Amino acid sequence: MMHRRHFIKLLVGSTLLPQLAYASHPADKRRLQFVFAQLKYRGGDWNPHPLSVTPLMEELMARTSVEAATVRHEVSLTDRDLFNYPFLYLTGKYEFDPFTQDEIEILRRFLTYGGFLLIDDALGQQGYGFDKAVRREMLRVFPGQEFKRMPAGHAALRSYYLLRRIGGVRIVSPALDGITIGNSTPVIYCQNGLCAAWERDQVGKWTNACTPGGEPQRRDAFHLGINLILYAMTENYKDDLIHVPFIRKRLTR
Amino acid sequence: MMKDLYLIGSLPGWLVALIGAATVALLVQQFFGLKKRLPVGQASILTALRALVYGVLIFFLFGPALIDKRVTKLRRPLTVLIDSSQSMGFPASAKSAPGDKHAKSRLDLVREKLDTGGGKDSLLQRLSRDYDLKLIRLGTGLEPISTESLAGLKAQDPGTRLLELLQTAARDSSAASALVLFTDGITNGDKKTLDGGPALTVPVFAVGVGEAEGFTDVRIAKVGAPEFAFRGREFKIDLTIQAAGMKGKSVPLFFNRGKNIVTTRTVAIDADVFEQKITLAFTPKDLGTHGFSANIPAQVGEQITQNNQKEFKVDVQRDKIRILTLSGSPAWNYRFLRMAMKQDPLIELVSFVFLRTPTDTVDVPESQLSLIPFPIDDIFLEELKNFDVIFFDDFSHRAYFNPSYLERVRDFVRDGGGLAMLGGPRSFDAGGYGESALKELLPVELDGKGAYQAPVTLSAALTPAGKAHPITRLLPDPKSNEEAWSKMPALTGMNQVRAARGETLINTSADSGGAPLLTIGRFGKGRTLALMSDDAWRWNFIAVGNKESPQNHLKLVRQAARWLAQEPSFEQVQLRPIASVQPGEKSQIKLKVLKDDFTPTRQAAVQLRVFDPDGAPTVVAASADSEEGEYTGEFIPTKEGTHRVEVEASLGGKVLGKDRGSFSAAFAYGETDDGLPRLDLLKQIAENSKGEYFSINDWNDKALEKIATKLETIAPSQLVEQRQTRLWSTLWPFSIVLALLSVEWWMRRKWGLI
Repeated sequence: MMHRRHFIKLLVGSTLLPQLAYASHPADKRRLQFVFAQLKYRGGDWNPHPLSVTPLMEELMARTSVEAATVRHEVSLTDRDLFNYPFLYLTGKYEFDPFTQDEIEILRRFLTYGGFLLIDDALGQQGYGFDKAVRREMLRVFPGQEFKRMPAGHAALRSYYLLRRIGGVRIVSPALDGITIGNSTPVIYCQNGLCAAWERDQVGKWTNACTPGGEPQRRDAFHLGINLILYAMTENYKDDLIHVPFIRKRLTR
Repeated sequence: MMKDLYLIGSLPGWLVALIGAATVALLVQQFFGLKKRLPVGQASILTALRALVYGVLIFFLFGPALIDKRVTKLRRPLTVLIDSSQSMGFPASAKSAPGDKHAKSRLDLVREKLDTGGGKDSLLQRLSRDYDLKLIRLGTGLEPISTESLAGLKAQDPGTRLLELLQTAARDSSAASALVLFTDGITNGDKKTLDGGPALTVPVFAVGVGEAEGFTDVRIAKVGAPEFAFRGREFKIDLTIQAAGMKGKSVPLFFNRGKNIVTTRTVAIDADVFEQKITLAFTPKDLGTHGFSANIPAQVGEQITQNNQKEFKVDVQRDKIRILTLSGSPAWNYRFLRMAMKQDPLIELVSFVFLRTPTDTVDVPESQLSLIPFPIDDIFLEELKNFDVIFFDDFSHRAYFNPSYLERVRDFVRDGGGLAMLGGPRSFDAGGYGESALKELLPVELDGKGAYQAPVTLSAALTPAGKAHPITRLLPDPKSNEEAWSKMPALTGMNQVRAARGETLINTSADSGGAPLLTIGRFGKGRTLALMSDDAWRWNFIAVGNKESPQNHLKLVRQAARWLAQEPSFEQVQLRPIASVQPGEKSQIKLKVLKDDFTPTRQAAVQLRVFDPDGAPTVVAASADSEEGEYTGEFIPTKEGTHRVEVEASLGGKVLGKDRGSFSAAFAYGETDDGLPRLDLLKQIAENSKGEYFSINDWNDKALEKIATKLETIAPSQLVEQRQTRLWSTLWPFSIVLALLSVEWWMRRKWGLI
């Protein structure tokens, strides 16, 4: 299990923590295939769980072949290097200020041409705060396209783990919502507070308890995070015909 | 010549009778007057003499005349048409054993019946004597022959345009003539029935050769197959099986590709005149022209076995370029490569992304992972040939399979496949390919020392070759193309290679070292491409961020895939599809030649060769057309069958490319397809033309007499001339009257009346 291994690792390497604040630290010579870019915005709280990304990245590298930066990269929609990071993470607890029209157009362009946005509601209150702001802004990005419930067989739920449950720090919704364009779903929205479930403190202790499912629910949150990253990087690869019979066989066991 | 006496007087009868009565009265009065002066005897003699005079005169009132009749017998024109098509070489008798070379053919029987080598009184000679005889052989055309050449006439015409040629022969004949037609009635010209055609203007005496009764044959009458099919997609073949005289038998049907049996069927024949349609299906796996055949083995008692087999060709094309990508791990390069390929309707993508390395651990049972085992044997030993191009995308074989599998990849490329290696920490030397079977075929030199470098910043610079090459031609205008490349975002990862072995299309810019970035090459029949970076996705998504189009990256990927797959539109020498022709007909072979910069040229030296079905080559001169880059050669095939065409074009001694194709030369008639004599058609022809039908067995003296009689009823062959001489206008009547009157005068004087 990941907890012990990473706990010890983090404990031993706790002196290195300041270095991990930078995704592309000069000492890190690995070819990074993935950088977790977190979107900053005005108003509200864009960073409710600042220590949530590293545990996920470590888990990603431990379980998969992806070489990832262990710390997140913070980026705003108007940053020049935004398109260096095709995976964007947007989280928060409270309602935030509307994006400018420029920001809306950049985000639309980002998502239309191959970028991916994972939205995570850290508050978990449908119709209030962050949820309200997200739905408002995404409607501006894709007018007329509301979030829709993603089917259980969606490629994002099969991109690595065969997921039957959606984890998080709390279970607000048993399913994910998404905005699908053509065959792709560039925006996926989880209301269960993934970042809170991923977060550890500086000594490696889980910051938040997962309710009601406890650690299995946390594990589901990590699995979902890994799946969504791989989905962003391989799109609907697992819908290819060659995978279908294998997956069907495993799901029917 | 004969003369007849006719009364052609124009006086009415009653007037002649009145004159006769008056004459009788006059004679009676004359007799009684004479009786007073002479004895009764002498009075009677004088009265009789006068009566004779009056009688003669009255006779002439009836207008007596002599008519001369001259009868002339004409030699009627008669045309004998003899069918010399190939079907006349079939056995004449339905009882002949199959394959019996001594069996009398239908044409032999005609010759025998006409008895060309016989005595003086052969039927042919009788016809020759009685008629103005013309002998014509009939097949795909009409050709006059002499009676002497009939003995050497062969059944070799490839078709029988019977109904069309009958019309022609009838038109060429004079009104009183007739046609005698010796044929089996098999017709395979444009017209197959008499319906709708104009009536024949001369009678046709049709002599049917061959026996429909007891005729035994099974044949593949029709094959309906597409001229081309797509690889991996099933196509249908419709076969029509016909049989005669085989009721109650079952025959096997074999469907073969080349010499290999694909499938078999059993055909149960349940009627004397039998027809059944059978549909077969085949899914081609290999590209190219495939020869197929359907055949039924020769059956006991079958007269004709040539029609038991049908051959056809199907050109198997790719409907899609099948690409296999192997990616060492999930990465943005894969994401955008996949996007480019998935959006291209011409590309069918099968990709494997190694989501997990052997050192990665999982926290759930395997059954809760979507990972599938990489089917190494299936891919490298079985399925590789079904792909057109393989992409090694930052993929190293070392962790996953034995290097010997790479030998399969080398063979795949040598046999015509395409291989692209994209950069990354698992590619080129960094991936261990410097010591692998791929080393010799990659278009870059590997020495085992080339490292992967990142992060770096490098820009792309088109080489002169890259400016013209179809892979890097993103925009048609050269200047716009260079400008587009100059705006491409910088890349951040680079594989070092020792040198380029093939043709470099893109270097890193001079300030980035000028190293080869995109290089292409050829190995055996295949093509290779090396892109020494794993960052090409930036040409897409970073460009989007710069408000440029992502299309340049998408186009680059698609054009590279097409070039690697050797799509015809990316070839410098392109042979156009060649239409099928009939033997003797001119075939036009057209091709297009492009220079190395893919612009057309009319200065190329083109070597065009056509191989006939026996493999004999003919060099064909090809000349430049008015349109730049287009060339045409002309060839007239003499044999039926598939002709292979090979072309090679060079410019300034350098070979620009080669291409090959094929076309088929075949008569459209299908002369030997159906040997069943169509005697019913001959009867119709005879009836419609007011002639008569004879079986060849009834062709004898009586038949000739019947023909003569029939022709006589239609138009007599004798010409009668008449000449009329009125007796009154001759000296004889006057002399008789004068003589009678003189005798009377002499008697009167003797007896003292004068």
